[in-house]
Amino acid sequence: MATEKKPVVDRRDFLKVLGISGAAATLAGCGNTSIESGVEKVQSYVQPEDFVVPGNSVFYASTCTQCQSNCGIMGRVREGRVLKLEGNPNSIISKGKICGLGQASIQVQYNPDRLTTPMIRDGESLVPATWDQAIKVINQGLGKDSQISGDEIIFLTNGVSGHQKVLIDNFLESYNSKNHIAYEALSNRVGETVRENLYGYSNPVQKVKDAKLIVSFGNDFLGSGVSPVFMATQYAQFRKAPRGTLIQIEPRMTLTGGNADRWYPIRPGTEGVFALGLANALVQHPEYDKTVPEELKLALKAYDKYTVGEITGINPDAIGHVVAMMWEKSPTLVLSGATAEGHKQGYQNAYAIELLNVILGNVGKTVTPPTENPFPQMNPINASYQSLVNLDNQLNTKKTKAMLIMGVNPIYTGPSFVDIKNKFKNVSLKIAMVTQLDETAEMCDVVLPLLSPVEEFGTHVASYQPEGIEISIQQPLMEKLHPHTKSFGDVLLVLLKERDPKNYSKYPDYYSYIREAVVKSKPVFKSSMTDDEFWDSALMNGVLHVPPKEAEFTKIKLNTADLPKAENKPLDVNYPFYFVPSIKADLRDGKHANLPWLQESPDPMTTVVWDSWVEIHPKTAEEMQIREGDILEVKSSMGSLMAKAYLFPGIQPNTISIPFGQGHSSYGRYANNRGVNPFKIINPITDEKTGELALFATRVQIIKTGNKEKVVKDEGPTTLQQGRKLVVTMAADQAELSKEV
Amino acid sequence: MALVGASYSINAEPFKAGGAPGTQTIDGYNALGPQVEQPIEFPHYTHANVMKINCMYCHTYARRSAVSGIPRLDKCIGCHKMIPEVRDRPRIKKLFWYWDNHKSIPWKKVHDLPDFVRFNHERHIQRFYFQDKRPVREVCGYCHGDVANMTTARRVKAISMGWCIDCHKKDHQISAVNLKTTNGPNDCWMCHK
Ligand code: SF4
Repeated sequence: MATEKKPVVDRRDFLKVLGISGAAATLAGCGNTSIESGVEKVQSYVQPEDFVVPGNSVFYASTCTQCQSNCGIMGRVREGRVLKLEGNPNSIISKGKICGLGQASIQVQYNPDRLTTPMIRDGESLVPATWDQAIKVINQGLGKDSQISGDEIIFLTNGVSGHQKVLIDNFLESYNSKNHIAYEALSNRVGETVRENLYGYSNPVQKVKDAKLIVSFGNDFLGSGVSPVFMATQYAQFRKAPRGTLIQIEPRMTLTGGNADRWYPIRPGTEGVFALGLANALVQHPEYDKTVPEELKLALKAYDKYTVGEITGINPDAIGHVVAMMWEKSPTLVLSGATAEGHKQGYQNAYAIELLNVILGNVGKTVTPPTENPFPQMNPINASYQSLVNLDNQLNTKKTKAMLIMGVNPIYTGPSFVDIKNKFKNVSLKIAMVTQLDETAEMCDVVLPLLSPVEEFGTHVASYQPEGIEISIQQPLMEKLHPHTKSFGDVLLVLLKERDPKNYSKYPDYYSYIREAVVKSKPVFKSSMTDDEFWDSALMNGVLHVPPKEAEFTKIKLNTADLPKAENKPLDVNYPFYFVPSIKADLRDGKHANLPWLQESPDPMTTVVWDSWVEIHPKTAEEMQIREGDILEVKSSMGSLMAKAYLFPGIQPNTISIPFGQGHSSYGRYANNRGVNPFKIINPITDEKTGELALFATRVQIIKTGNKEKVVKDEGPTTLQQGRKLVVTMAADQAELSKEV
Repeated sequence: MALVGASYSINAEPFKAGGAPGTQTIDGYNALGPQVEQPIEFPHYTHANVMKINCMYCHTYARRSAVSGIPRLDKCIGCHKMIPEVRDRPRIKKLFWYWDNHKSIPWKKVHDLPDFVRFNHERHIQRFYFQDKRPVREVCGYCHGDVANMTTARRVKAISMGWCIDCHKKDHQISAVNLKTTNGPNDCWMCHK
C-alpha cells in the first residue's frame, strides 16, 4: 500500500522565506448580478482527449523560463486555457514550488500588449506585415544565396541553454559563424570566474541546508540569486531545529538580509576586506591555523580588526562575534553575491570571500563539485556584460551586416556610456524575436512575434545544478492564443532548411527537432522504453534527471596576488554617496516590468508598488532635511535620475539605492513611463580582472528639487494609517504563535 | 427502439412557454428567460423525449465536474454517422459542416451564473440521481425545467440566490432506502468562493 510521504518542507515554511508570494489576483464578475441567458458563448470541444472534462483541470509539466533557474512547473489548464502555474514535484530544482516571478509568467501569455503580427520597418516606424513579407525581407539579407558569413552576422541572446542554444549555434554554423553573443545585464560572471579559477567549477553546489552557519556577503539567494526557489526550500530546512544562523553583510538590505539573524551594513566595495579581516582572526585558532599556508597568513596580517573596521565602516568587534560563531558552528558556508562582486575589485572581493570557505574547511562539505553534464552542448552559454562590450566593438567596425536579437533588451539595460542605440544604424538588417515590443525591438528592421513560453517547446539546463543534472522539458500548455505568432525554432528552421536542406529538411517543425533530440538522449538514461514511450514520459515528468555523481575538487591553489588591498578610499566630495541599485526578485533587470502582477506586488523590503524610489538612511535624511516623498535628483557623472525619497533603515548611511527594472519608454502599458532606469547613471567602471561592469561602484550626489509626491506603498504601523493603527504588526519573536492560531 | 422512420415531425415539438419574462411562477419567483437563438436549433424533445436518451448520455460531464459541459462534437457525430436517414435535414447538415471544418459550435449559454457563484453539477447529480435514485429528467429539471419538452433550452426557473436557498432549506430524503432527511448547506462560501 502506498503511504503518503510528508513533504520535508511544507508550504508554510516555504512561503515564510519567499518574498514575492501569491501574486495571484482574483477578478470577480463585474456588475453581473443575476443569471444571464444568451449573452456569452459556451463552445464545446470538437474532439478532445478522453481525459479532458470541462470544469476539471488538467496539469501539464513544463519549465519556467522567467529566470535562469529553470524550475520545473505544472500548468493548470482548463477548457484549453492555462490558468495557473505551480511547481513540478518531479523537478529537483523547484521541488513542487514556484516563486512569484514564475507565477506571473502567465501574464506574458495573456498580456494585452503582445505582438500578434510581424512588423517591418517603413522609414521611421514599424508597420504590421504578414509573415511572407517579413520572411521576404529576412531572405534578402540572410536567404539561401546570402554571402554573409563569420562575424558579419551576430546572434544576440540572453544566457540560453538546451536545444535553444544548440539550434542557434546550428543556425550560425550555416553561415560559418560562431558569433553567438550572450548578454545579461545582471550576470554572475565575476563570482563564477573566481570559483572557476579556485575550484575548477563556476557553479559548485552550495549546500545551504547542511550548514549550521551561513555568512553571506550580499548574496540574495532567497530573492534574486542563482536558484531562489531551490534555495528557499533548502533555507527552510536550514532553519529547522537545530536552527541554523544566517549572517548577512551588504550595503543595502536584500530579502535574504531581511531574513538574517545579524545584518551588517558595509561600505560598498569593501566586502573582501571584511572577509580577510575574518580570515585573519580565524587563523588565530590553532585548528584553522594548520591548513593555511604561511605566505597567506603573513598577507592576512594587514587585515587587523581596526584597519578593517576603518575601511568597511563595521564596528571592529563584529569580527570577533562572527569568528566566534565560525569557530563554534560547523559546518559553515560563506557566499559571495552581486553587491560584493560589482566593483573595481570585484574579483578580489569574491576571491577573499571564497577563501573563507577554504580556510573553514567547507570545501568538500558545504561546497561540493557539481555533476558533469553528459550533454555539455546543452549547458547554458556564459552570458555577461563583457558581451555588450564585445557587441559594441563589433558594431564599431561597421562589418556587421545582419543581427538577430532574442531575449535581451540592450538598449534599455545598456549603460549610457555604451551607445548601442546609435550604432544599431550601422547594421542594415536587424531582426528582433519577441513576444512584446521593447526598446530594442523598436529599433529593428523586422520584428517577429514569438509564441509565449507557455505555448512553446524547448529543453533547458539551468546553470546551477544542485543535485545531479536536470534537463527540463518545456512543452506548450495550451494552443497558441494568437494565430500569427510562431515558435522561435520554426523561424530558424525555415531559414536553416534553405541553407542546409541536407541536414534540416527532415524536420517538419521545431517540435520534431526537439522530439528527436530528446529521444536520441535515451541511451544515457539507459531506458528500455520505445521512442514514443520515452518522449511521452519525458513530457509527462517534465524533467530528465541525471543522478548526482561523486566528484572531488582538484587541488585548490591559494593565491595571495588576488587579495583585495586594505586601503581606505576617500569619498569624492562632488559625489559623496555610494550608489547601490537594488535587484528586485521580480522585476530583475527590467525584463518583467511588463507584468502587472509584479508591478503591484509590494517590494518585500519597502512595500512600495508601481514606481521607483530612492532609499536613504533616516539619519542621513535627517541631516539633509529630506522627508519621505521629497523628489530627489540623483546625479552621477553619467547622468541623473529623479525619484521620490523613501527613508529606509536597512541601508548603509553613506549609500543610496534605487531598484532596477523601471523606467521603460516602450514596453507596453504596464511598464511605460513608470519610474526611472538606474542603468543609465552607472559609471564606466569595470572589474579589473574580468571586465564585468561594476554595477555597484558608482558615486552620486543628491539634489533636493523642492517637489514632493506621495509614495505609494503598502506599509505597516510606521505610517499614520489615517490616524489609526489599521494594520498592526508584531516582531516574530514577540508573537506567541500557538495563541495566534 | 426504432430509429428508422420514426413517426414524428421535427417541427412539431411542443414548447411550454410558461409566461412572459418576469412573470411569477408557482414557486414565487420571476422565472422565464428570453428565447435564445442558437447556431443549431437543437431538438431536446427529439433526443430526450422521443428517443428517451438519458440527459447524462450527452451531458456526460455533469456527474464528474462542476460544469455539465456541452457535449463534444465527436459525440454528436458518433451517433449521427449511423443515422443516414436524417443526414439531409438542415440542422444535421449544419452539424456536419462544423465537423468537416473542425470548428466548435458557438452555442449560447442559457443558464449563465455570475462569476461569483460556483454551482457544482456533480454534487447535485451524485446526490439526487445516484444516491436517491430519482429519475434523471426530474433531477435535471429541478433547475433546468422540463428540457425534454423543449427544442432549444430556455430558462424557466429563477436560479436566483433566494431560489437556491429555498431548496437548500428543504429536507431531502438521504437516499432511496434511507428515510432520514438532510438539507443542503447554507454556508455563504459553499457557493461564493
Ligand atoms: S526561480 Fe526563476 S525559474 Fe524558478 S519559478 Fe522563479 S522565475 Fe521561474
